[in-house]
Amino acid sequence: MPVSGVVITCVDGCSHDVAERIAAFDGVEVHGVLPDGQIVAVVEADTVDGEVKLVSAFHGLAGVAAVRLAYHNFEDQEQVQP
Amino acid sequence: MELSRREFLKSSAAAAAFAAAGAAALGPLQPKDAAAAEGGITWGKAPCRFCGTGCGVLVGVKDNRIVATKGDSQAPVNRGLNCIKGYFLSKVLYGKDRLTTPLIRKGDRMVEASWDEAMTLIAGKFKEAIAKHGPDSVAMYGSGQWTVFEGYAASKLFKGGIGTNNVEVNARLCMASAVTGFMTTFASDEPMGCYDDLDLGDTYFLWGANMAECHPILFSRMIDNRLKNPKVKIIDFGTRHTRTSQMADQYVRFNPQTDLALLNAIAHVIIRDKLYDEQFIKDHVVFKRGKEQIGYGLEDKFKFADEPKLIGFDEYVAFLKPYTPDYVAGISGVPAATIVELAHLYADRKRKVNSLWTMGFNQHTRGTWVNNLVYNVHLLTGKICKPGENPLSLTGQPSACGTTREVGTFTHRLPADMVVTNPEHREKAARIWGVDPKKIPAKPTYNATEMFRALDRGDIKVVWVQVTNPFQSLPNLNRYRKGARKGDGRFVIVSDIYPTRSTELADVILPSASWVEKEGVFGNAERRTQQWFKLVDAPGEARSDLWQTLELARRLGHGSLFPYKQVEPEMWEEYRKFNEGQGKDLAPYAAYAAARGLRWPVVDGRETRWRYAEGHDPYVKPGEGIKFYKNKPDHFKAVVWARPYEPAPEAPDKQYPFWLCTGRVLEHWHTGTMTGRVPEIRRAYPAAVCEMHPDDAKQLGVTNLQQVRITSRRGSIVLPVDLNGRSRAEKGNIFVAFFDEGKLINELCLDAYCPISGEPDFKKCAVRIEKA
Repeated sequence: MPVSGVVITCVDGCSHDVAERIAAFDGVEVHGVLPDGQIVAVVEADTVDGEVKLVSAFHGLAGVAAVRLAYHNFEDQEQVQP
Repeated sequence: MELSRREFLKSSAAAAAFAAAGAAALGPLQPKDAAAAEGGITWGKAPCRFCGTGCGVLVGVKDNRIVATKGDSQAPVNRGLNCIKGYFLSKVLYGKDRLTTPLIRKGDRMVEASWDEAMTLIAGKFKEAIAKHGPDSVAMYGSGQWTVFEGYAASKLFKGGIGTNNVEVNARLCMASAVTGFMTTFASDEPMGCYDDLDLGDTYFLWGANMAECHPILFSRMIDNRLKNPKVKIIDFGTRHTRTSQMADQYVRFNPQTDLALLNAIAHVIIRDKLYDEQFIKDHVVFKRGKEQIGYGLEDKFKFADEPKLIGFDEYVAFLKPYTPDYVAGISGVPAATIVELAHLYADRKRKVNSLWTMGFNQHTRGTWVNNLVYNVHLLTGKICKPGENPLSLTGQPSACGTTREVGTFTHRLPADMVVTNPEHREKAARIWGVDPKKIPAKPTYNATEMFRALDRGDIKVVWVQVTNPFQSLPNLNRYRKGARKGDGRFVIVSDIYPTRSTELADVILPSASWVEKEGVFGNAERRTQQWFKLVDAPGEARSDLWQTLELARRLGHGSLFPYKQVEPEMWEEYRKFNEGQGKDLAPYAAYAAARGLRWPVVDGRETRWRYAEGHDPYVKPGEGIKFYKNKPDHFKAVVWARPYEPAPEAPDKQYPFWLCTGRVLEHWHTGTMTGRVPEIRRAYPAAVCEMHPDDAKQLGVTNLQQVRITSRRGSIVLPVDLNGRSRAEKGNIFVAFFDEGKLINELCLDAYCPISGEPDFKKCAVRIEKA
């Protein structure tokens, strides 16, 4: 199960609202809402594709200005050696 | 995975995110605990494998495999954060069908071979073609994703060893117009500003650039700026409504090709309303006019040479007279009042104005002209060479700048902006390369499109393709795919990491090392040269393209061109000699190993953020203010070019009533060979779709996701329409991305190109659409 840490930048005044909405996603934990409107969240899914789907969905939420990736660990990703 | 490790990793993830958000103190882990959590992972720096932004990544390796990535917090470009494509760095090297052995075509099958077998065959084909047909019958087609070493080795071997200018790159398809724009306006390639302008400016005009998807981290920097400074305005000029348009303060829709007219109209208003900086123009600008009605490169062996003439300011003003807001509103669809308003915004003395663009301007049959025209606006208003205020040409590929443009891996080029046509430049190159100056041919041969036309005709027999996928990415693709398989002595070698639509046409496939499987240097869009060391082994027998090129050199008897014991550091020091003292100085190799990149010119260990500006550029002396010091013939001034609006070669008509535009989307890189490789990622953005306006769909009688047949004069394709995507086409326009190897949209595209740059226009051709 890959795990990632993301930073979501929100438009003024929207961060708590956005934080609430993303916390409702399965696989998303909100770890902090900063005074400047940024949200720190941890995302996990069964696959990298699953993580990408979740994070892409954040982009579509009203009040989200940017979604960026800080950390990604995939050490237990299926090791596909040709 | 055991629970406690999982919890540790989640804490690590949160800690990294807090740190990147600038709130490390709130993080859940102390640094030593974070290190423990990572148990056994060693981290090395590298620029990201994808776009020209050049974000810093820390690559985590355990047991000779990449197991984690982090945004590099020490990287000034991105300060600890990557865009969503950063997720895919986990996958790009590890697809199931990674190429691991050389393969030689035997009839319809590709048969495994040893390196010796493959290279013996390849060298034999090169020797045979050169002996029978001369050095111009062999060619190298490389890439803006080549490392500096790979490009340098190819250029030196072909131009200085074999003696042919048949070196071209896929950057001809993305940045060539930007280059000729720079060279004709400033006599020197690459931007005068840097990414700091995204933090320091307050007004950003985006022209035909979907930055939110294609340069996300740079777009984020602009958005961060706007969040802190309510004065910041982002204006998106586009032919389709994208995520960028959504986030901009103003979206200005315009008809394809009329960017030329709009920029002239803006200049017209600036002149008319006396908004220009008279003193700046006097001190720093000359005016020129070139040939007009210059053709479209549609005929094989098309040739063009401009005839520039100096003109006076009054003549330039007269030239602009027809470009009234009303006239241009008529052809562009932009209201006259908007043109006037935005011209005033451009010229607002209380604002720090920037322009940004990529493929909308570059992939354009008048790409050089439109690059000139955007510089005109900045030069007329003096809004240039100032911190926070510059035109910034955005680069698409990770090293189109660092490799193709700076090393000069084009038919007409040598390193450091030098050209093969100049005997002094050939002498200097020959001296540094240790070859007879007569070896380097004086005449350019073919630009990229012409190179594949030559292969089709049989004038080129042997072509080696490295780190790119032309048999998916060229325009008018059918002709060039057929050309590659015509036989009659033609021999195609493709070096790549996965099977692609190009390897399938090859006579020999060579397995390559990728990204951190080899040592390398890239140069990004803000002149930042970034180095990385090899961090993991390539799989199977895969070798770096550099090794492959040196191996061919050795077998062709040109091994002495590469007498290095430690290839990369020694090659670097040799290459540096080209740039020294030329305003393009590069630092010693060790400096790049240590730093998160350095922006050239690097003089006395100090990088340059703003070129041509006193106090920032070491080449500008105190008291000189702004000096375009590379343009000696025009007394160190920049050129404002009088360039007219001219129509596209193939506009919509009764038979083919829609504009077709092609390009990229956020999730997929180029032809999808890396991002499309893994079924999981393909599922996230499964296949190409046809972005269409709902009104057009209604008229055609199609609903969302229904299939349509799209046909141009060159090809036809069936795709589902997408009416609900994150981007929306304008009426009379459709957009299709080119990542899908099963849907070769480039078969429909027209191989018309800018006569000055040779860059094809992937953004405009005419199609008809029917319900499928």
